[in-house]
Amino acid sequence: MLNKIIRSNEFVIFVILVALSLVIGWINPAFYSWATVFDVIRASIVYFIMAYGLLPIIIAGGIDISFVAIAAMSSYTVHMFLINQGYQGGILLYYVLGCLLGAAAGLLNGILVTRFKLPVFDVSLATFTMWYGFTLFFIGATANFDLPKGSVGYYARFLITFQDPNVGTTGLHESFLYVVILGFFIWWLLKYTTLGRGVFAMGGNRDVAIRTGFNVNRIQLVLFIIMGTFSAIAGVTQGFLSRYFNPVLFIAQPLDVLAAIILGGAAITGGSGSVLGTTLGVLLIQLINRALILTGIQVEWQRLVLGIILILFTAIPSIRTLRARRVGRMIQS
Amino acid sequence: MAEEVLRAERIYKRFGGVIALDDVSLSIHKGEICCLVGENGSGKSTLIKIISGVYTPDEGDLYINGHHYKKLTPIEAIREGIQVIYQDFSLFPNLTVAENIAVNEQLAAGKKLVNWKEIYAIAEEGLRKINVSLPLDAIVGTLTTADRQLIAIIKAILAEARIIIMDEPTTALTRKEIDALFRVIYDLKEQGISTLFVSHKLNEVVEIADRTVIFRNGKKVMDQDAKGVDIRTLEYHMTGREIDNSQIVLPEIEKAETPLLKVEHLTLKGVFSDISFELMPKEILGITGLLGSGRTELALSLFGELLIDKGKIFVEGKEIKIKRIGDALKHGIAYVPDDRVNQGLFLPQSIGDNLVATIIDRLTAAFGFVNHRQAEKTQAHWIERLEIKTPSKNLAVESLSGGNQQRVVLAKWLASQPKILILNGPTVGVDVGSKAEIHQLIRTIASQGIGVLLISDDLPELIQTCHRILLMRNGRIMEEFQRSDLSEEKLNKALIAETQ
Repeated sequence: MLNKIIRSNEFVIFVILVALSLVIGWINPAFYSWATVFDVIRASIVYFIMAYGLLPIIIAGGIDISFVAIAAMSSYTVHMFLINQGYQGGILLYYVLGCLLGAAAGLLNGILVTRFKLPVFDVSLATFTMWYGFTLFFIGATANFDLPKGSVGYYARFLITFQDPNVGTTGLHESFLYVVILGFFIWWLLKYTTLGRGVFAMGGNRDVAIRTGFNVNRIQLVLFIIMGTFSAIAGVTQGFLSRYFNPVLFIAQPLDVLAAIILGGAAITGGSGSVLGTTLGVLLIQLINRALILTGIQVEWQRLVLGIILILFTAIPSIRTLRARRVGRMIQS
Repeated sequence: MAEEVLRAERIYKRFGGVIALDDVSLSIHKGEICCLVGENGSGKSTLIKIISGVYTPDEGDLYINGHHYKKLTPIEAIREGIQVIYQDFSLFPNLTVAENIAVNEQLAAGKKLVNWKEIYAIAEEGLRKINVSLPLDAIVGTLTTADRQLIAIIKAILAEARIIIMDEPTTALTRKEIDALFRVIYDLKEQGISTLFVSHKLNEVVEIADRTVIFRNGKKVMDQDAKGVDIRTLEYHMTGREIDNSQIVLPEIEKAETPLLKVEHLTLKGVFSDISFELMPKEILGITGLLGSGRTELALSLFGELLIDKGKIFVEGKEIKIKRIGDALKHGIAYVPDDRVNQGLFLPQSIGDNLVATIIDRLTAAFGFVNHRQAEKTQAHWIERLEIKTPSKNLAVESLSGGNQQRVVLAKWLASQPKILILNGPTVGVDVGSKAEIHQLIRTIASQGIGVLLISDDLPELIQTCHRILLMRNGRIMEEFQRSDLSEEKLNKALIAETQ
C-alpha cells in the first residue's frame, strides 16, 4: 500500500512541490510566510477551476484549448451586457448568466465533435479562435474597469484573515470555497457515477466503450457542458478578483492548464488522471511562477524552467514504462 | 443427445460477387464443445458474425433456444446468450480487473451511480464461477494475455451466456495457459454452457473437440464427432489436399571452414546463460522451448534489441559487437518478429512501401529523394518471387490475409539481402495451406546460401523445416536434436518436461 502511494504520480509531484519550496525558502527566507501561501492559492483559484473542468475531457482522450476563450467570452459578454443595462447588484447574476453562456459554448464544441465526428482538438482550435474573435469584434476590444456597486469589495472577501508584517491583511479568499466544491464534484463524478467511469472507459478504449454500451456521444456532450460552465465560473471569478474584465482573458494560458493536468498524472492519450494530481499540478505551476520572481530569477526564465520540468516529468512515466516492459520480458522468462 | 441451443439452417451469404457462405448448416447442443476449423477466407468469421447478429444472412434461418430468427440483431443475440470473445477481448486496459468484469452489469442495470462494494462482489462472484483467482485491483493492461482472456470469459458468463464463441483463443498463450483455458472450457461444459472454438491449431482441436466442423471456400466439408479423427484427416479436409511430410527436401548444408554464425557463452542475466552454437550457410537451425524459455530474448540479443552481458558473437569467423539494431543489420543479420502485426509491418501503408522499408536508404538518390523507378522494380520483384497474392502493390498491407502478410514481412527482410535470417514464429496465425507454402519458402531461402535461425514452438513446423533443433529450457540449451532422429512425439516430451 505504502509502496503504491510512493510510486504514484501524485506523490512524486508532491515531493517536487516540497523540494521546490525548500529551495526557494533557502534562497529567499521571505518565502516562508502565510502571505506566500495565500498568494499562491489566490493565483491558483481560477486555474484550479478551469483544470477541473478540463480534466474529464482529457481523461476521455480529448485535448481542448478553447476553454480559455469560453472563459473570456462568457465573463466579458455578461459583464458588458450588465454594465450597459446599468446593473448595480451582486455577483450572483454574473455567475448565473455566465454559466448559461459557458454551457452553451461548451455544448457547441460537443455538438461539433459528436455530430460531425471531428477530433476534439481540431474543434477546440477553431472555437478558441472564434470566441476571442467574437468577443473582440462584437462585444468590445478593451478591458473594462467599471464594476457594479453590489460587487465592490468582493476581491477582499476572505474566509480566514491574517496579519502579515510586510503586506498587511491577507487571507484565504472566499472563492477558494468554489474550488473545493467544484473539485469534489468532479472527483465524485469521475469515481462514483456511471458516466464518470464511462469517461475512463472511453479514454482507455473508445471502440470497446461503444461496444460495451456506453453512450459515448452523450458522455462527451455532458463533459463539454461541464467544461464550458467551469470556464465561465473561472472567467467571472478572475474578473472580480482582478477588478476588471478583459476580452482576451487567459489567451496565453491554455497550455499552463493543460500542463498542470499532465503534470498531475493524466495521460495526454486519455484513460488516466485525477483531481488530486491536477490540484498539485496547478499548485506546482503557480509556485514556479511565483518562485522565480521571489528568487530574483528573470521572468523570461519562468517558461524555460517550466518547460524543462515538463520534459523531465513526462519522461518519468515513459522511462518507467520502458523499464517495466524490459523487466516484464525478463519476468516472463 | 442434449437439447439443441443453436441451429443455423441453410445459410447463404454473399459479399459483392464473392460467396462467403454457401448452404451452410450448423447446430450446437447444450454443453457441447464444437470446434470450427478452416483456412483464412473459408467463411468461419462470416458465420460467427451471422450467429452473433452482426451480419444478416441472405438466405437461411436461425433457431436459438427454439426461437426462430430470419434476421438477428446483436442485442437479440446477446439476449439469447450468445457471447463472442474476440481476439482483443474488448477490455479497458486502464481500468481494474473488478471494474472490467462488472461494467456490463452496471450498464445493463441502467445504474447512474457506482457502488464499489457491489462492483467487487460481482467480480468475485465471476471469478468463483470459473474457479480462478485474479487480483481484483490490478490494472488490466498489466496482466498477461491469458488473464485478460479469463476476464473476457467471466464477462461472457456473467452475461448469462449459453454459447461462448472463442475466436483463435490460444494464439498468444503458453502451453500451461492453454491447459488452464481448456480446464475452464470443460468447466463451462459442466455448467451446460456450449463453446464454439475457432482455431487454426489442429492439435488443440483434436485435444478439446466434442465435434469438429470444417469449412472450405464457404462450404461445410466435414461435421462429425471428434472421436477418432486425427490431424491428418483434418488437414486433408481443410486444404482439400494431403500435406505430405515425407517428400520434403531440405537444402544441403554447405561444408564451410568457418561457420556463418558462431556464438559462445552468450549470457543475459536472469534470462538466458551460456548459449553456444554454430550456424552454417544453407542451414536451418531450429530453436524451441516453451514461452519464457529465453528463446525470443536470445533472438532479440542477436538482433541488438537486447544487450548481452557476456559472450562472443562471430559472423564468418570475425568477432562482432552488437550494441544496437544497426550493428546487426550491418553484419547481415535480419530478424522477423513473431508479432508481425505490431512489430513487422506498417499496416495502413501499401504493400509496396512495406517491401522497401528496410532498404530505403539504398534506394535514395541525390538530395535524399527516393528513386521510384528502382523502388518499383524491387517491389515487383519481391511480389512475384514470394507469390504475394494481391491485385496491386498499392493496397494497404492490412487488406492481406495472414499468410500473405507474413510473406510481405519476409520479403521486406530478404530485400535487405541478409546473410543470417532469424525467424520468430513465422506461421503464427497462418492457416495450414499457407503454412506449408511458407515452410517451402523458408527452405528456398536457405538453399540460396542464407543461414536461418527458426524460433518456434510449433513442432510439425520445426520437423518440416529444420536440420537441427536446439531445445531451450530456463534460459539454457538442454538438448540438441538431429533431423535424423527426430519425431514429434519425442520433441513434445522433451519440450513439456518440467524441470522443477
